[in-house]
Amino acid sequence: MTEIVVPRLGWSMDEGTFGEWLKKDGEWVKSGDMLFVLEGEKAAQEIESFDEGVLHIPSGAPKPGDTVLVGQLLAFLLEKGETPPTEVVHQEQQVAEEKQDEASALAGPALRRLARELGVQLSDVKGTGPKGRVTEADIRNSATKCATGSASVGPTSTTTHFPKKRTAITPRARRIARELGVDSSQLSGTGRNGRVRERDIRAALQRNGNKITAGRLLEVPKIRRTIATRMLASVQQTAPVTLTTKVDATGLVQLRNEFKTASEGSAPSYNDMLVKLVAEALPQCNLLNACWRDDGIYVYDQVNIAVAVDTPIGLLAPVINNVQYLSLREVADKSRELVEQVRNRKLTDDQLIGGTFTISNLGMYDIDHFTPIINLPQTAILGVGRIVREPAVVDDEIVPRDMMGLSLTFDHRVVDGAPAAKWLQQLSRMIESPSSWLSN
Amino acid sequence: MATVTTELNKETLLGLYRKMQIIRQCEEQLAKSHQRGLVHGACHTYVGEEAIATGVCAHLRQEDVVFSTHRGHGHALAKGLHPQELIAELYGRETGCSQGRGGSMHLFKPEIGMMGTSGIVGPCILQACGGGYSFKIMKTDNVAIAFFGDGAVNNGAFHEGMNMASIWNLPVLLVCENNQFATEVAFNYSSGIPDVGRRAENYGIPGFEVDGNDVLEIHRIAGEAVERARSGGGATLIECKTYRTRAHAEGMGDFTYRTRKDVEEWKTRCPIQRLADRIVEDGAASEDELQGTADEVKQLIAESHKFAEASDYPSGESAATHVYFENESPQRKQGNEPSLALQASGNRETTYVAATLEALDHEMARNDNIFVMGEGIGARGGNFTTTLGLYDKYGADRLCDTPICERGFVGLGCGAAMTGARPVIDFMFIDFINDAFGEMINQIAKMQYMSSSRLKMPILLRGCVGIGHSAATHHSGSYHSVYSHIPGLRVIMPSTPYDAKGLITHALRCNDPVLMLEHRELMSIKGPVPEESYEIPFGQASVVREGTDATIVALALMRHHAEKAAEMLAAEGVSIEIIDPRTVSPLDTETILQSVAKTGRLLVIDEAFGPCSVASEIAAQVADAGFDDLDAPIKRLNGVFTPTPYSPTLEKAIVPQVEDVVHAIRALLNE
Repeated sequence: MTEIVVPRLGWSMDEGTFGEWLKKDGEWVKSGDMLFVLEGEKAAQEIESFDEGVLHIPSGAPKPGDTVLVGQLLAFLLEKGETPPTEVVHQEQQVAEEKQDEASALAGPALRRLARELGVQLSDVKGTGPKGRVTEADIRNSATKCATGSASVGPTSTTTHFPKKRTAITPRARRIARELGVDSSQLSGTGRNGRVRERDIRAALQRNGNKITAGRLLEVPKIRRTIATRMLASVQQTAPVTLTTKVDATGLVQLRNEFKTASEGSAPSYNDMLVKLVAEALPQCNLLNACWRDDGIYVYDQVNIAVAVDTPIGLLAPVINNVQYLSLREVADKSRELVEQVRNRKLTDDQLIGGTFTISNLGMYDIDHFTPIINLPQTAILGVGRIVREPAVVDDEIVPRDMMGLSLTFDHRVVDGAPAAKWLQQLSRMIESPSSWLSN
Repeated sequence: MATVTTELNKETLLGLYRKMQIIRQCEEQLAKSHQRGLVHGACHTYVGEEAIATGVCAHLRQEDVVFSTHRGHGHALAKGLHPQELIAELYGRETGCSQGRGGSMHLFKPEIGMMGTSGIVGPCILQACGGGYSFKIMKTDNVAIAFFGDGAVNNGAFHEGMNMASIWNLPVLLVCENNQFATEVAFNYSSGIPDVGRRAENYGIPGFEVDGNDVLEIHRIAGEAVERARSGGGATLIECKTYRTRAHAEGMGDFTYRTRKDVEEWKTRCPIQRLADRIVEDGAASEDELQGTADEVKQLIAESHKFAEASDYPSGESAATHVYFENESPQRKQGNEPSLALQASGNRETTYVAATLEALDHEMARNDNIFVMGEGIGARGGNFTTTLGLYDKYGADRLCDTPICERGFVGLGCGAAMTGARPVIDFMFIDFINDAFGEMINQIAKMQYMSSSRLKMPILLRGCVGIGHSAATHHSGSYHSVYSHIPGLRVIMPSTPYDAKGLITHALRCNDPVLMLEHRELMSIKGPVPEESYEIPFGQASVVREGTDATIVALALMRHHAEKAAEMLAAEGVSIEIIDPRTVSPLDTETILQSVAKTGRLLVIDEAFGPCSVASEIAAQVADAGFDDLDAPIKRLNGVFTPTPYSPTLEKAIVPQVEDVVHAIRALLNE
């Protein structure tokens, strides 16, 4: 008998939403079959079975839409003729056991509190003290690791774990903060161990001029929270600089029109063309295709371009891998496929990780320039503005040209302004004469 | 012996015969039903012993009362219970005599004087004494009967009951059914002497040893005893030597402790056959006539079984009704003024004890059925002057000094409350109540429930609690946590003269058993008390002091500590709200929650131990219902978890002091 449990999709994942079973109760499951759908922090994912057997879904098993904990028992794969277990461990027990796991880590109350404050999962900490006892140093080391994201290595692992500083807050303070619309998460409390109390909420309100603006509190979906965390981490952990320029895109427009005429409708978009151009340009400044780590700058071998996409549930950035090896047409096909998956909410976590550089396009909203935020742990992001016909001076004559705004944000920790500006200039030249780079 | 029958007319003889047939056939039906699963719990049959209940109850009026044992089917039937109500009760149906709340061992039909059977051996003796005492107080010539087995006579209840029946000349019959085995333990093993009846002599009452299978002899002896009791001659002990010819309970093995031969031999002494033979022999009736009676009873039992089987089961929704006579909820009743206002309006000061004495005197004057029992509460007026002057006013019967037998007179109080009187049991020190724990928990607390409120339990038990003046460990206990755990009891703890008078007045008018605990360090405190009579309903906390920074819930003496601490803290600018629950069962959690909603902080102070206490209960309820109001962890300040020491330095170290309260509040504010 094999237990089927909730897998951890990203390593900061603690819980997810159970989607649906892809096999029926009693059905024979082969190794490699897709067994069920699980929604992680970012997207729904089909979970593969690594074992075979008859699927037995106990009566207490989670239903579609239920929140499930990582490690929670979902069902069993039984050998032929094997009877299902009579007792099913329910969610509550699982939770209890998980808590117990944490509790069983050898650490005193003071260290437990420290772990809580630093957002460190005690069960993840390997104790170096006598008998495996967790020491203060262990917790602090673990916290540092989390904060710097050094645990995420290699080109495919781009998930960054950010410290969750949990503020202790009394139930009353939490209630009053909610009622008064005060954000308690940024407050430091005056209670024992810094616990936030009612007075801290009221003091915060006082500081804000005692104004309560009428409004309502929105429940934040998981994806919004993830975006928030990632964006905040980016501005807090990087040294961002944004360069803007205006580039003559008349050649790009012409080329696209040619593609359009030739391919009857399914021509590559400007974005596809830019993805390809950026990929071609990046080797000229590989520090823009890299990530900062404690132990050095990790320069990626691949060029995996993440394309920011606005979706009804929020911003997503699916990744097109190895763009340097793809033709423009392949880039266009790939990007169409991703957009389709985004629309159908079929995107998997796999397709959201591994990017090395990001392109964000707001041109359709008549934006010329903006300050894109770096998609951690990458180093740079290119913001693409609209293409607009403007009077331009060519050979001392004023002529109409298709002009496009570009905004490059880069992490000054990794690369300095001059090389970044130079790269942007090179990219601009390529955009001005795109045909040699963009054979369809 | 032939002369006996000639004294009885044919009607009486056939009546005895019919009654015994009813008991026998009913028991046989129940034994059969037990095997079929219709009887859900235990089933102790009376087969072989029918003559005793029949012979005794033949002399009883409806107003006479019977208290019985776990083997009580026969007593209930003999007292007049219809077989269908007995059978339905064992089948767990709504139409059963206890409406499905009792089963085989808890048969109640107070309407016909069947005051209940009990699963505990012994209490029925004390309760019968209580019935007798009631009749004495109410000046009727009713009698009270206790039926009990040989198992009860080596129990303290027998000794205490016999003695009380004797010294107070109670109209009771104590009928011992010596069937030779207490469950499966032989009487000749358990008792130093083989007979019970002769023990009566040592208590100064008449005692008889009778053939328990001879209904006519029992009828004769019981007749004399009932007559003696009615005419003021006091109690009688009758031992009926008999044998149960079925197992202790249906379905139990029977031949590990006795032999088949013995059982078969006793079956030949069947009391029913014996009477039949006598009747036919004496020509009082023919065999055919007797057969006719037996057949008619057979029909009755068959119909009763059918009735019971067709009856509905009680609805689960009613499972917790009748725990209390009146469903006194902790919600504020309309028209009840806030105590703060009234307290302030009083212009006369009395002590705490004087306030309760005034109330007791007032209630005794308006209700002749109130009597007080306790050690030294008669002419002496009570150790704490709780009854000072009442003896001269109301006499020895209503101010009844007791031997030191707490279990005895608490059990008596139970029986007295069940039969119409309103006893007040004065323990002096409440520690002594623990000798009567079983009577409190198994009897007093449960009677209303088991009888579906057809019995009332208007009994007040009072005593002093609390640590102080080196009283040491047997005169200083606080037991309100223990007793408030028990459904069916009310537990009240007034902390001021005003509250004491209002709460004791309510206790003396309500129909529930009330335990009133009076802190010894409060007995002599003075406070404003209105002269007129007034009631404070249970379950209404009093807001002693209003404040905004933290709530203190404090009982009894601790409420006064809280007030002193609050005064000290006020000087530091700290505003404390104090809630005195006044009663711990029912507990007014609503007022506490309202206060915590305001202050966000809660400290519960109680002199009683912390574990499983009223303080834990309050903390738990507030943590649950008031969670979002809490701005700090709930704190408790309890007495140290230790028996009370004697030496003043040790004593002081285990009780919360005013400075402890101040420290606790400061710590709470820093949380």
